[in-house]
Amino acid sequence: MPKLIERKLIILFLVATVALPMVHAATPEIVLEIRNHLFEPDIIRIPANTKVKLVIFNLDSTPEEFESYELNREKVIMGGRKAVIFIGPLSAGEYPFFGEFNPQTAVGKVIVEDENDAAE
Amino acid sequence: MTSGANRTIRCLGYVALPIACLVSTAAIADGIVIDKIYDPYVQPLEKEFEFRSLVFSDDDLADTQKHRFGFGRSLSERWFGEIYAVGVKTTGEEFRIDTYELEFKRQLTEQGEYAFDWGLLFEIERQADVDIWEISTSLIASREFGGWVGTANFDVIYEWGDPVINEFETAFHTQFRRRWSEHFEPGVEIHLGQDTLAVGPIFAGLKRLGGGSKLAWELGYFAGLDEITPDDTVRLTLEYEFY
Repeated sequence: MPKLIERKLIILFLVATVALPMVHAATPEIVLEIRNHLFEPDIIRIPANTKVKLVIFNLDSTPEEFESYELNREKVIMGGRKAVIFIGPLSAGEYPFFGEFNPQTAVGKVIVEDENDAAE
Repeated sequence: MTSGANRTIRCLGYVALPIACLVSTAAIADGIVIDKIYDPYVQPLEKEFEFRSLVFSDDDLADTQKHRFGFGRSLSERWFGEIYAVGVKTTGEEFRIDTYELEFKRQLTEQGEYAFDWGLLFEIERQADVDIWEISTSLIASREFGGWVGTANFDVIYEWGDPVINEFETAFHTQFRRRWSEHFEPGVEIHLGQDTLAVGPIFAGLKRLGGGSKLAWELGYFAGLDEITPDDTVRLTLEYEFY
């Protein structure tokens, strides 16, 4: 590999690995809780085509996994801890999610609304 | 995040992947680099058993099978470690353990936080019966495009020992997978390296087994597009994930 290209690649690699984690997001936040193996709230309404930050507090002592194939998200949240999940931008529709460790009780859905639907 | 920073990150992803692709094709090295393409994500508490099999066949070479047995577990919320034993079987020879490997994956960004999701993979391996070592670092990038997910791994590899010549190698792998259903996702992969130029379809899926455990599978076929790459490569991966 030519030396010049190799040097540029190393610089690119360093920028990607060092600089990226220093950047912070500023997106709308929605707070959820997991309590007694239930999501509260269990229905979340967000606008279409908008990225949203879900901050999930697991108030149970046991871990839970937020899981949704439709949202393409999977995240284990330790007992007594919080986790952040970014979803969207999404088109209008319903996106179910569930707790992988308690799928009978921990269920919910994200409802993505067009601006017109939200105004009605 | 400022719009400038956002733009910088997006540009970095869009620029880095094609550059890595071009450089990899221009590099000179000595390995067939068709292998698993890693995503950048780590789940705390997750453990897994993995079986990965690669079968290479070529009109001019003896068929070779490479079978990998691994156990991995998360080490923290951002780190995942896995240890492998790799066995090789070549036509006319006995199956033998060829290599031991240790790898660590670091998730760098939250999924969906930026235009691309980023991770790093570090590997060290030693051949079982000769004093040949290899270390590698891979930059992992992934992005969702509507119902598709694109993932790329750019590897920088250093190999040393006796009788190999100490050298750096590079490789690039990319996968585009359609998120059809969790049971069945079709896709395509491209693998580029010093001695590799291969492309082909992959199929993946998973079966939930309850209690958070899953069986994930992936099957791929890759056609060699140059004189050096094996004509046909088949890859099968089975991962049993549990907590």
